[in-house]
Order: sequence, then structure tokens, then C-alpha cells
Amino acid sequence: MIKPSKKLNLRRYLLDASCFGFLILIAVFAIFQPSDEIWRNLSLIFGGLLAALLMGAAGSYLLEKLNVETLGSVIFPDRIQSLSALNKRFPRFWLVQLFLFLIVTFVVGAIKTKASFTELFDEDGFNGAVRLFAGLLSPNMDVLPKALVNIIETVFMAFMATALAIPFAFVLSFLCARNIMKHPAAFAVYMFLRTGLNITRSIEALIWAIIFSVWVGIGPFAGMMALMIHSIASLAKQYSEMVESISEGPIEGIQSTGANVLQTIWFAVVPQVILPYISFTVYRWDINVRMATIIGLVGGGGIGTMLIQYQGQAMWPEVGCIILVIAVVVWMMDQASAYIREALK
Amino acid sequence: MDDIQLKISNLNKVYDNGVHALKNVSFNVKKGEFLVVIGLSGSGKSTLLRCINHLHAPTSGQILFENRDITHLSSSEIRGLRKEIGMIFQHFNLIPRHSVLSNVLMGALGRTGTLNSIFKFFSESDRKRALECLNLVGIREKAAIRADQLSGGQQQRVAIARALLQGPKILLADEPVASLDPATCHSVMDYLRKINQELGITIVCNLHFLSLVRQYATRVIALRNGELVFEGSPQNIDESWFRKIYGESAKEVHIN
Repeated sequence: MIKPSKKLNLRRYLLDASCFGFLILIAVFAIFQPSDEIWRNLSLIFGGLLAALLMGAAGSYLLEKLNVETLGSVIFPDRIQSLSALNKRFPRFWLVQLFLFLIVTFVVGAIKTKASFTELFDEDGFNGAVRLFAGLLSPNMDVLPKALVNIIETVFMAFMATALAIPFAFVLSFLCARNIMKHPAAFAVYMFLRTGLNITRSIEALIWAIIFSVWVGIGPFAGMMALMIHSIASLAKQYSEMVESISEGPIEGIQSTGANVLQTIWFAVVPQVILPYISFTVYRWDINVRMATIIGLVGGGGIGTMLIQYQGQAMWPEVGCIILVIAVVVWMMDQASAYIREALK
Repeated sequence: MDDIQLKISNLNKVYDNGVHALKNVSFNVKKGEFLVVIGLSGSGKSTLLRCINHLHAPTSGQILFENRDITHLSSSEIRGLRKEIGMIFQHFNLIPRHSVLSNVLMGALGRTGTLNSIFKFFSESDRKRALECLNLVGIREKAAIRADQLSGGQQQRVAIARALLQGPKILLADEPVASLDPATCHSVMDYLRKINQELGITIVCNLHFLSLVRQYATRVIALRNGELVFEGSPQNIDESWFRKIYGESAKEVHIN
């Protein structure tokens, strides 16, 4: 008999344990139907989670001993796998596991999102929607000049955010590229910056806008700052991935002439990445115009702020005009950026 | 002993992943010779060349370059060393989007300040010299063309010109013709011989084809699995040596 590999397949246990733990938790909730009181007890929640996870892990260990093919062992197979040793009594256990998991997740999801057909086809609500669409479809063009002034503000907000993000992202991209930061000390800087950028990026631009609308006051400046922070993190990541994928040859070629680090980056790395950089940047501007609209909703200025004002007063024909302006500008930006990116290939 | 330019003793290179690429390699390179290094892929030829100009740091042993110990150097000393050692590569390693002239001028980066080089303020004498180097390899008329529009053989000649602009005392050539067709191959080798004989620049060159070795080398060393297994004149590599270097089942391929 072939010996199974000695190395603990951690990923497999983690996946199976979470899957089983989740199913156990749902079963417990379905059977005992606990009151909302328990959500106030933090230690109970974590204790319950941990217990479920441990039970799941125990279950997955047991199944492994029985040589049952679980989802974890299918997705993360061991290096040495003995097909003949598989348990014959539970063939395709992993398929059952997968479907059970998906069905339970779907049912729980439906309950949690309070999905309801009665509300979707409720007469009052439906009539309201009809009124809204009627308003939107007959836009009031009187607000067009004001909408245009505001969308220009939004486009410039996005432009400034992108433009100001470029130099920061450019410098960061080299400091966040593993193939540049090989030296141990440099690697520490790399890890620090990478982590920082990942955290920055995981905070949505919307949240940054709320932070800056308190910091610098409601208005386009707050929106611009929010977009800039988010753009720096996103561009630096995209740029640095580009730097990581360049070919080493030209670097060796330039290094062998006795060039220093800056010269090597400038002559061997920059020419290889400049076109993708421009392409990413144009796309980022395009994304920023769309995001700037949303950010306006929380006080970032521009067309978004105007939109939320009219929406709050249920002035649907005016809102219709604003949405029309947004749609046209976003479509134009989208086309232009696609055209530029295509031309750069 | 004065004519020994490069003295390598007991050189070892162990990569971070544990691969022992060079094992106690010792040999000398005399001033003005055309030394060819042969061996299978993975025998350590490339590593050997890269240890000489510190593209890879040697692990242990000693390298003497013109009686200077260059085994362990600081990064600024490495840059100083590289100015005196030119190198050309199998894949040319030019900057594709730059012009031929601009590529050649990169040979002067070592003696040009960072800001000056970034704004392309190379000295007048370097510009003149760059054109002379291009002339020497016969492609002066291509100076304004983008490097990636040249054929492989022409790109390798640009790489030679770039290395020449450094004013090197020694030129390392890592498989310079391995990605070229047989006809271009000879043209590039001829230019290497020309700068070896006319400018007196020492050449250490990795090669695959034994027929080229016999034609161009003044002396040969052979590596097998990181060890030096042969040192002598190209005429001395007979059938039995050939099998020793390339393995029992190897057959010699001739290219003309």
C-alpha cells in the first residue's frame, strides 16, 4: 500500500473544517432557533464559531482516516494519492458535500436578504416605481446647465485625483515590486509598503470620502482626496505587477555596463512598462469619473451631490436629466479610454 | 606572470535555492586571448561569466582581475569593476524601444552622472565614440533606427558596440550566437575576433558549437556539472574528450 504523504495538508483541513463548521452552525440555528439576545454576547459568538470549526476539523479528520474523498481533498490534492485506497461506500462524497453546501448557502441567503415576491409585486410600491420611471423618462431640461457645470466638476475631480496619484504610484510601483526589492533590507520595505497599500485599497473610496468630508469639509476637494488615495493604492498595485512581469535581460544588459540602480530602473525597467502604465492610468481616470459620481452622494461634491439633493426631494424629472448627463459622459469616457488603450497596444 | 589578466582559483557558486553551480573552478585568462568556455546547458558556463562581473556574487574562492582581488566587493566597487568589463548576451539584452545610438550610449552610463544620463546629456566625446563603435561593427547607418527593428545579428552587433563604448579590458560573451542562424552566427563571431585581434581586448566566450570553437578559440576550457574538466587548445578536443564533456550519447554537429 502506498503511504499517504506525511506533510499535513493544512489547506484541505481548513476548507473542509469551515464547510462542515458552517453546516453545523446552520443546523444548530435551525433546530434551536435562538433569540436575538445571543448576538449581544460576543464571547458566546466566538466560542460557538470556534466550537463549530473544531467540530468541522474533527469531522474532516475522521473522513480522511476513512479515506473519503472530501471537497478539500479534491481542490487541494495530496502529493501522493492512492486511488485504490478510496472509500468505496461513500463514492463522490465531495459532490454531495458541494451541493449540500450550495443549497444551504442559497436558502440562508434568501432568508437573510428578506427576498420577497409579495413586496416586489405590491400594488402601492409598483405604482411608485411607475411614477418614478415616468419622471425619469421625461427629464426636465431646465437643470441641464447646472448639471453640466457639476459634471465638469466631477470630471476634473477624477482627473486631478488620477494626475496627483501618478507620481506617488510611480515611485511606489518600484518599491512594491519583488524583482527590484531583492535585498533583505529592501524586502522589509517591500513587505511594509505592500501591506500598507493592501489595507488602503481594501478601504473603499466611499469610506475615504466620508473621512475626508469630515477632515476638509464637504465638497469636491474631499471627493478628490478620497479618489486620489484610492487611485494611488490601486495604480501602485497594477504598476508593480507590471514591473514584476518584465524581462530580466535588459536589466542585466544595463547593469553590466556599470550603471547604478536609478540608471538601471530608468533605462531597463521604465521603457518596458511605460505603455502599460499609460493604459492603466487612462483606465483609472475612466473608473474615477464613475466613482466620483458615487462619491458625490456622500458629500464629495460634483454631480453626485446634485443628484442626491434632487433625489431627496423626489424631483424625478430633474433626476432624470442628471442621470442622462451622467450616462452620456460616462459612456464617452468609456469609449475614449477604450480607444486610447487600444491604440497603445 | 604579468600577462595573466584574470586568475580564478577554487571558485564556488551556490545559489540561494541550494544549486551548486560551480565547484572549485580554477583557471587563468591571459591578456589578449580568445578563451572559449564549452559545456552542456546547465553546466555552469553562464554562472561563471556572471560571477566575473558580479551579476551573481561568487560564494567562495578567489578572483583576481589584473592582480586586484575582486571576489567580494561593495556595490560601488562592483560598478567600478563593471565599467572595465563588457558583456554581451544570448538574447542581446538591448532596450527595444530606444534607438541604436541610444542603446550604444548606454555603454557610457557608468561614467555619466545619473541626472545627465536620464536627460541624455552624454558627453560629446562619448557620442563621437559611440558612432565609431557602430562603425567598427559595420552598422553606423542604422544609428537612428529603433533597436527592435534590426535583425538578430544586427542587434548583437549593437550589443557589441555598447560593450565597446565602455572601453573594456575584457569582454564576456554569454552564448552570443546561440539564438542566431548559421550565416549571421559567423558574422558576429568574426566581429568578436576582429575586436580581439585589432583592439587587443581579451574575450571570454561561452559557446555551444564545437566547430565554432575550433575556428575562433585560442584556448578552451570545458565545464561539466560545474566542474572544470578540460583546459587546452581547441585542437586537442578529440572524440574521447568530446564524449567526456558532452556525455556518451552526444554527436557533434557542424555548422558552416
